[in-house]
Amino acid sequence: MIKRFFISFIILVGFSALVFAKDYKENFSLAGYLKQETSVGLDTFNEVTKFKNILSLSGEYKISEEFTFFASVKGWYDAAYDWYAKYDSAQDQMGHIQRTYWLRDCYLDYISGPWFLRLGKQQVAWGQADGISVLDRVNPFDLTEYWLPDMADLRITLWMANINYSPKLNSNLQLLIIPDFEQSTSAPPDAPFAFRSYKKYDAWKKTPDFLGRKKNVREEIFYPEKKFKNSTFGLQWKDMIGDLTYTLNFLYGYYYSARTYTEIYNVGGNNYYFSRRFKLWRMYGASMNKTFTNPGLLEGITLRGDFAYYNDEPTYYGTDGSSQGVNRWDNVFWLMGIDKNIFTNWLISFQFAQYILQDAKPGTKTATGTPCVNLNAYTYGPADQVENIFTLKVATDFLHERLKTEVLWSFTDDNQGRISPKVTYELKDNLYFTVGIHYFYGNEQDSNGQFRDSSQFYTQIKYTF
Amino acid sequence: MKKYGLLLIFLLLSSFCFAEGLEYYKLYSPKDGMSADEIMQIKYFNKYSLFAKDFQQTGEVYYVEPNGAKRKRIWVRKRIVKAGKDGIAYKDAIVMTYPTEVKGLAVLTWTYEDPQRDQDVWLWIPSLKKARKISSAEDDDAFMGSDFTTEEVSTRRFEDETYKLIGEKTFEGYKLDLTGELKLANRPCYVIECIPKKPHWYYAKRIVWVDKELGGGIFEEYYDKNGKLFKTLFREWVWTEISSDKKYPSQRSLVCKDLRTGHYTVIMMKDTKYDQGLDERLFTVEAISQSRW
Repeated sequence: MIKRFFISFIILVGFSALVFAKDYKENFSLAGYLKQETSVGLDTFNEVTKFKNILSLSGEYKISEEFTFFASVKGWYDAAYDWYAKYDSAQDQMGHIQRTYWLRDCYLDYISGPWFLRLGKQQVAWGQADGISVLDRVNPFDLTEYWLPDMADLRITLWMANINYSPKLNSNLQLLIIPDFEQSTSAPPDAPFAFRSYKKYDAWKKTPDFLGRKKNVREEIFYPEKKFKNSTFGLQWKDMIGDLTYTLNFLYGYYYSARTYTEIYNVGGNNYYFSRRFKLWRMYGASMNKTFTNPGLLEGITLRGDFAYYNDEPTYYGTDGSSQGVNRWDNVFWLMGIDKNIFTNWLISFQFAQYILQDAKPGTKTATGTPCVNLNAYTYGPADQVENIFTLKVATDFLHERLKTEVLWSFTDDNQGRISPKVTYELKDNLYFTVGIHYFYGNEQDSNGQFRDSSQFYTQIKYTF
Repeated sequence: MKKYGLLLIFLLLSSFCFAEGLEYYKLYSPKDGMSADEIMQIKYFNKYSLFAKDFQQTGEVYYVEPNGAKRKRIWVRKRIVKAGKDGIAYKDAIVMTYPTEVKGLAVLTWTYEDPQRDQDVWLWIPSLKKARKISSAEDDDAFMGSDFTTEEVSTRRFEDETYKLIGEKTFEGYKLDLTGELKLANRPCYVIECIPKKPHWYYAKRIVWVDKELGGGIFEEYYDKNGKLFKTLFREWVWTEISSDKKYPSQRSLVCKDLRTGHYTVIMMKDTKYDQGLDERLFTVEAISQSRW
């Protein structure tokens, strides 16, 4: 009901503004791009794993000094899923954009003095981390291509009221009321970046039971009821102490993962019933950033940090490759980042993060008496109580920013990770060519290691207008 | 009464500046008999438009290859002069509007009065939809990929060099390659030699021509340690009328040529506005985070 009201309100205001606008051309701007993304498996170089054509269009209309309407739409088609029979089962989800995801943004902005309101479908990014979502948990994520796309493309936008009040200069109080709900998505089992956990579950479903009978598996997902009380609520306070900026964050709502809370019933014989429910969780957090601007050893260094305490976070347990259930634990995720420009035009950015589970062991056993371990949600592989995560990014440019190069190395203390070098060349103002590699290594039980056979070479051609 | 006296003294002190001895929000022009230091103080004062309370301009930037091929960027730049309040000289916000690939990219910079202190810089990154505090660029980094270095555009200060007045000459004019127009012909200038205090810097010496009337540096020649000219920088200064009895000097076009590569950058300014009463809230991280692009 609230969502419908939101949509009707935004569309009504947006279109009336366009119809009645006298100086329509002056206050209206439109931009977009056409993009072609191709990727090829790095092992054999003979299999196209992506041939995606994307169209994106964004429009902004300034209604008055206070009000601005903005909308962006996006559509794509991935032909690679038509070419190979092995992708048939993934074709529907991976071949084209899903459901209402084509509408990326649709909101009305209101600015007046200390007030800033953004009402409509949008994304909100919290925290200072780069590519790791410690506090960045307001929107669910589309992980069908793992964490490889830009963060702005990964977030699934939601209808919400984003209300901001700035009681004094450089401070801001933000209240988010999100009546909309979407679940985070992942790739189906036959797609290149399908999670091992999903593949294991799919394989289990397809494996005959011990009597050789085909399993009948019924799954039911219970979404939160569409009531205001089931909205997600967020609160952020931002302020500066000297030149140190900090935030305090709070988020309360339903956890976005579709597979977080599973009740499994063997309803007799070869019949299985899976009931999945989204569970409420809370996030308490804080972030900071500071650049050392005074002369000295640290001059020019920027420090960034995120801290999050996840209350009642659904956390898997089971045995390697098989989930037995979910604990609702209080876990901690924190990150520290350090950036520095060195020499001429070289940026070095390093991040260290720790994801700390409440307990080292879940303290339960399987039906056969095997002790359970904590599981990595992506792989159902054993998870360390403390996962140490590192990222290192080195970037520079040549030819007057015409040629931009970057290497991102993301890894953990389990000798697994991803190395992603990338080169982008600006052919013209509106034409860009990118070539790069995503090289995964490590153990299949680990987040990056599970894709060690999915390393890819990719190209992108982007035409903007 | 005593406390009001102290307040008055504080206000007077805080309204002094950046370039020592010059008062914010006042207009200065160089005069015959001034020393090289005094002329250069005025030159920097005008470069950062510290005579105005705020300022806004649209810049069209052209990166021109030796073969004539061009790439273009458009930005809108806003500045508020803080006159030393909280130690801040001025705050800048630059928002890119063209091409689409960089549309929405915004850079917020706070420049402090203390010449030893680096700028605080925040960046709105459209691909992250996030404002990030960033490490300020090295002074000799190319400014947004142009032929200008960061210090030539925004961080070089009066205190960074030593000065010697070479003489007074008439500037013959500069022909803009893009339009073919001859700019600032026959302008009387002070010619000043500037030596960087930093050792092993990217230039060993530069010669600056300061327009006597406008008080702006209109032409700069950069020499390497072998005394070879490797770069020239032209700035077209014009008067912008604020009211019938008030006008400010403004930069209208800039050309920076790298003589080693033949590459050059042109910045054409338009829609220059001063003293609009810009709200300081426009120069906060919150403001750049409200970007829709």
